[in-house]
Amino acid sequence: MDLSEKLILILSGLPTTLAISILSFLLGFIIGLPLAFVRTYTSKPFQILVDGYEKVLRSVPEIVTMLFLYFGVGGIPAFRFPFKNSFFVATFALGLRSGANQSQVFRSAIRGIGEEQMVAARSLGLSRLQAVFHVMIPQTFIIATPGLGSEYALLVKDSSYSFILGVIDMMRRADTVRKTSLDTVFPYIATALLYILLTFPLATYLDSWGSRKKKELGL
Amino acid sequence: MADTVLECRNLWKIYGKITAVKDVSLEVKEGDIKLVFGPSGSGKSTLARCLAMLTTPTKGEVILTGENLTRSGVDLNKARARIGFVFQHIWLFHHLTALGNVELGLRQVLKLPKEEARERALQALREVKMEGWAEHYPAQMSGGQQQRVGIARALAMNPEIIILDEPTSSLDPELTGEVVDTLRDLAQKGTTMLVISHEMTFAREVADEMIFIDEGAIIERGPPELFFTNPTSERARRFMARLIKRTRRE
Ligand SMILES: Nc1ncnc2c1ncn2[C@@H]1O[C@H](COP(=O)(O)OP(=O)(O)OP(=O)(O)O)[C@@H](O)[C@H]1O
Ligand SMILES: [Mg+2]
Repeated sequence: MDLSEKLILILSGLPTTLAISILSFLLGFIIGLPLAFVRTYTSKPFQILVDGYEKVLRSVPEIVTMLFLYFGVGGIPAFRFPFKNSFFVATFALGLRSGANQSQVFRSAIRGIGEEQMVAARSLGLSRLQAVFHVMIPQTFIIATPGLGSEYALLVKDSSYSFILGVIDMMRRADTVRKTSLDTVFPYIATALLYILLTFPLATYLDSWGSRKKKELGL
Repeated sequence: MADTVLECRNLWKIYGKITAVKDVSLEVKEGDIKLVFGPSGSGKSTLARCLAMLTTPTKGEVILTGENLTRSGVDLNKARARIGFVFQHIWLFHHLTALGNVELGLRQVLKLPKEEARERALQALREVKMEGWAEHYPAQMSGGQQQRVGIARALAMNPEIIILDEPTSSLDPELTGEVVDTLRDLAQKGTTMLVISHEMTFAREVADEMIFIDEGAIIERGPPELFFTNPTSERARRFMARLIKRTRRE
């Protein structure tokens, strides 16, 4: 095996790595954005539920969640589908945790906007829900962009945990290359660089775009 | 006799130990210009917000053209759309242009079609002489320009009354003039207004009645002449003396 063969083999895991990262990010978004608004605008019992969700998912290691979903939940006959699918479990587990993270990112963005924008919207006769959609969410996105960039980077990195469930991602491919070629250095360095390439440019771009936009709009 | 547009009866707003509004009753008739003033922390903003039902009064009634807004089951969104509000600290929507700010209520609340909303928004911006800034974001405007857009935003909804909460107090002195000019234009057009302001020249010119508030309660009310010549209460007398001295200095 020469270097390019090794690299090609590692790269063949890249689509899976990206798929897990992007899908879990989207799942986290679908969970996190509503939770942030629920946490900000609803009554105590709902707030406690959201807090509980965030605390649990942020404290439990991803590996534990993944193994629990795969073996624990997947072990129940009724849940074999889809919990015996390692790709699904990896994405789902990371998405749940990302939901907790994104909820916090969005919540602090909402807090940063402050109550004033809401009051101004209500003064025009917008309902609370309309105000959330037309005034709060657009501004929340802008303020949250840098935080979302870091969250995406975290997911790309953590998608490598799926290796333990047997998902054939970049990490898994690197390990295979190491085993078959007995080269213990190149596969890891190449993989490390690829992870950096997948995370760093986008996260940096989102960070600078968000900061610039925030400044431009005086947010 | 003109019809009553907005009134409150025995209105109270209590925050824990603080009584921000204390048993206030007032009535604004069509075409009226009421000017409310008083020291900082006297409850002016709280009163204004209660009148617009942006906060719920603790006690008392707010009545908009005969409809009691403090009863349960009233559609407050509909009511708020009929009351224009201009904020002390402006509060334009940061993410929208001047035009976007004015259009939002027209599109989402009045449900006007796109073209019509745009036309009406531009018309409102024209009235405050900001049509040339339609595509600019609030952060690109001066405070005075922002506040004029704030007035256009309220005006465009064609409200039955506009409540303005110290529209010039957050502006540098050299920018208050343009906003006061805009208010004068509104007054000339016969707009029904409740203005909280300490611009005494403006007050004397346009107010039908001045209402002096201290510690949440109405201390004295009457035509501007009363306040400028001979206020009855000691508190109003002292406050007027301070204001007039300040106006002269500017
Ligand atoms: N949301 C609130 N919670 C608790 N106290 C409040 C709240 N809003 C106002 N207050 C209090 O009510 C009193 C009246 O405040 P308000 O802002 O209405 O005064 P104001 O006359 O508008 O003052 P200013 O001239 O400084 O704008 C103050 O003591 C203030 O601290
Ligand atoms: Mg005030």
